[in-house]
Amino acid sequence: MSEESDIPCVEGTGREEPDETPGFREQPDFERLEASPEVDELFAPASDEPPFSRRVLTTPLHLSVAAESRTNRWTDWNGYTTPEILTTIDDEYRALRYAAALTDISPMVKYRISGRDAASYLDRLVTGNVMRLSVDEVMPVVFCEDRGFVVGDGHLFRLGENEYRLVTEETHLAWLLDSALGFQVHVEDVSAALVALSLQGPHAAAVLNAAGFYDIETIRPYAARWFDLGGMPVYVSRTGATGELGYELWGDPEDAPVLWARLFDKGAEFGLAATGYAVRELARIEAGIPRAGCDYLGAFAAVDLADASTPFELGLASLVDLESGHFTGRDALRRLKQQEPRHLVVSMALDFPEPVQFCAVEREGAIDGTATSIGFSPALGLNLALARLRYRTGPVALSVEVDFREGLSVRRLKIPARLLTEAVIGSPMRHAVPAPLLAEF
Amino acid sequence: MRLADRSFDAIVIGGGHNGLVAACYLAKAGKRVVLLEASDHLGGALATGEISPDYMISTAAHLVEAMPRCIEKELKLARNGLRFAARNVPTIALSRDKRHLILSTRRRDLAALKQWNAHDAAALVAFLARLKTHATALRPFLLGAPPLSGGPSSEAATAFRKLVWRARRLGQPSFEELMHAVPASIGDIVDETFEMPLLRAAFAFEALRGTAEGPYSPGTAFNLIYRRALQLETKGASLPRGGMGALIEALRRSAESFGVAIKTDAAVKRIIVESGVAKGVETVAGDFLHAPMMLSSVDPRTTMLDLVGPACLDAGLAARLAQTSRRGATAKLNLALEGLPSIAGLSPEEYGARLLVVPPLNELDQAFASFKRGELSDEFAMEVTIPSVIDTTLAPVGHHVMSILIQHVPYDVAGGWAGQRDRLLNRVIETLSHYAPDIRARIIAGEMLLPSDIEAKFGLAGGEWHCGEMRPDQLLMFRPAPELAQYRTPLQGLYLCGAGNHPGGISGLAGQLAAKVALSEGRRA
Repeated sequence: MSEESDIPCVEGTGREEPDETPGFREQPDFERLEASPEVDELFAPASDEPPFSRRVLTTPLHLSVAAESRTNRWTDWNGYTTPEILTTIDDEYRALRYAAALTDISPMVKYRISGRDAASYLDRLVTGNVMRLSVDEVMPVVFCEDRGFVVGDGHLFRLGENEYRLVTEETHLAWLLDSALGFQVHVEDVSAALVALSLQGPHAAAVLNAAGFYDIETIRPYAARWFDLGGMPVYVSRTGATGELGYELWGDPEDAPVLWARLFDKGAEFGLAATGYAVRELARIEAGIPRAGCDYLGAFAAVDLADASTPFELGLASLVDLESGHFTGRDALRRLKQQEPRHLVVSMALDFPEPVQFCAVEREGAIDGTATSIGFSPALGLNLALARLRYRTGPVALSVEVDFREGLSVRRLKIPARLLTEAVIGSPMRHAVPAPLLAEF
Repeated sequence: MRLADRSFDAIVIGGGHNGLVAACYLAKAGKRVVLLEASDHLGGALATGEISPDYMISTAAHLVEAMPRCIEKELKLARNGLRFAARNVPTIALSRDKRHLILSTRRRDLAALKQWNAHDAAALVAFLARLKTHATALRPFLLGAPPLSGGPSSEAATAFRKLVWRARRLGQPSFEELMHAVPASIGDIVDETFEMPLLRAAFAFEALRGTAEGPYSPGTAFNLIYRRALQLETKGASLPRGGMGALIEALRRSAESFGVAIKTDAAVKRIIVESGVAKGVETVAGDFLHAPMMLSSVDPRTTMLDLVGPACLDAGLAARLAQTSRRGATAKLNLALEGLPSIAGLSPEEYGARLLVVPPLNELDQAFASFKRGELSDEFAMEVTIPSVIDTTLAPVGHHVMSILIQHVPYDVAGGWAGQRDRLLNRVIETLSHYAPDIRARIIAGEMLLPSDIEAKFGLAGGEWHCGEMRPDQLLMFRPAPELAQYRTPLQGLYLCGAGNHPGGISGLAGQLAAKVALSEGRRA
């Protein structure tokens, strides 16, 4: 597994990734594999390739995903070739909100953290209380540097007694290794050795159930479980950044195309569709989830500390537990909590029937913040945005200026905007236990 | 009575000079203080040892250069037995052509230099005046806690603005000169100042002594200013009667007179931390001691990473501490001699001086290059004292002891030290023989302390003498790390008071200042 990975094992002890499989492994079902081994070889990194020499990466699912593309619109996600839109954004959005949408999210950065001190290491790393996390549970985490500024955020999975997986948007290996000083812990970037699929939508549980993930409905939100799918070990967690009932599937690269094919085979009747990056972004904006590198800059990426954010400024105060054990930045966050935030990352809505683009957000005529992510929600007919606004108390009258083009003429419009206090889209199903196997809509 | 059964107001960890000074000041302020020392004797690298029976010498450090008079007075060290065999020991750069050079601006010495090289005589006066100006400007920095850097605090900016203002007020013609000197290498500075190779090499060595740098390493010019600034409080180097151990003995007596309980053989295993507060210590013997105030004079890195542990610290701070540089580069050779070796051209009263044996600048640079590669150099720069000339208590009548600091000796040498220890010894004696041809015949006994021996004997990481190299990026508000520069730690109740803290050196200032900080916070709490 690891000799095929694009990103080499860090702290190379030459140790093989321990088999995460419970039980025995059978041969995967190769009949369903569409791509031939010859074609596969084209995308496999050469064995004598120096590390990091390859700048344009493809995920192990690239061929399967590419086969779904009707647009040939691709984008870059952490260096991986990723579909922007596979069919049309409306179709994909409809699948996500009313049926089920499958996205290859393998470009997410995944770290395997193991060792005797893994729990205490992570407890010191992130602002939350990791000690409370049980095996097969997931928690959203944010981690800060000494001054209390956010380095990054992500999800922490507890795979075993002393084994965790941290999934983040950006790479943080240097910081993770710096933090490992004094802990008996092994930190390894397993991004290339692990395929991740995001299956989201009201029919997500039904699709998985049909594909052979039995008892899928019993998984609680932020819990996970191993499944043996005809010999393929697949780890399924009830997570996802869409505000929808949804799951994320974690498996071996060699199994991935088979898994993909199987999900489509069994999921077609539920309206399962492959979706691209654009819909993922839109869903995230609707759910009001800021993304690292886009809506906020990590503390080490920010040149000026004014650009960095504290968890309180990102609206992540609920992830900060100042009372449990020590973590990096705790003393600073205790002080910062007493102070007013400098800015806030907020969700905003514009009542305007057409998708628009804008940057500056004005308050009483003066520029007061920046829109960092903008999306047009087809379901609501609203322009939604995540924006970073200077913190101020008192009445809020926000507006944005957009250049609206009609034919060859352009009109500059001032559109009022309103702050959203809660996510505009949030399916009640996402909390339901057991998860509905056949949703009504 | 068992230690753990007694209650104390303050625990001082480590019985080096800074630990003792801190304990004295705390006890003087009325605190009940216990001092825990890991080894069986106090003083750490300040010790008087026996080379062979009746031949006593300062084992490692051999001159007191930076301990302020105010500490001597306030702790009543003279009343507690501290005597100086010599104060303001002159410095003489030895020359192979027997025309030795006294580095001073006394009229007689200057006249001699003028005969030799008129340009350099003038340059020396100007150079020393400028050095003093810079050192005086820097001095207030060294007498207090360094300014807090980073974050919203503008303390550091204010402090440096004041430094500039002081530099101007002291007659500094231009600010550029100081700005030039701070990042410059000492090699460049002496090359543009002096003509005589000996003078260049002597000042280059003065700046490099005890560091792991070469003459052309950037920032080394600042070392000279910094060291000069530390010396301003004492007026030159001093030789305590009875070696460096006598200073420690006086500090011990002073501490006991103030009521400090001193425990040797009491190594601390860990500092007990509960929810961000340092509560006490656990000793290796298994005793638990609790006190609201703890001062550690142990290397800050050891204190924070080994005794406290990274789990109680922010990751950035732990990583920064782990990265601080500790490259030992100085070895010590102590010799017992039968009779005084004759150094041609040196008048009898000059034998008591600090003698510099320095190769020319380019060879000094080569020695540094060898050091960097982990090889034995052919030439070594050395600082030699023969304390028995002025302190007759050290050796039998007519006999002498010689103390030699050898610069640019690597911690690890290619091929291992086992076979090379004698080679180093031979090279050093060889070099000394150029000046004192009869030295080899006079050696009765000797001991050589390589950087690895310094590490093993005194617990100094990497064999580095200062608990953190003294170079511009590890001095002032960077010593030992920006967050720890004011003797406070993120843990309430724990303070750092060792030589690894500002201002460093054998000054005792870190102990004094840390005790002041701890006392002021104790009052506030």
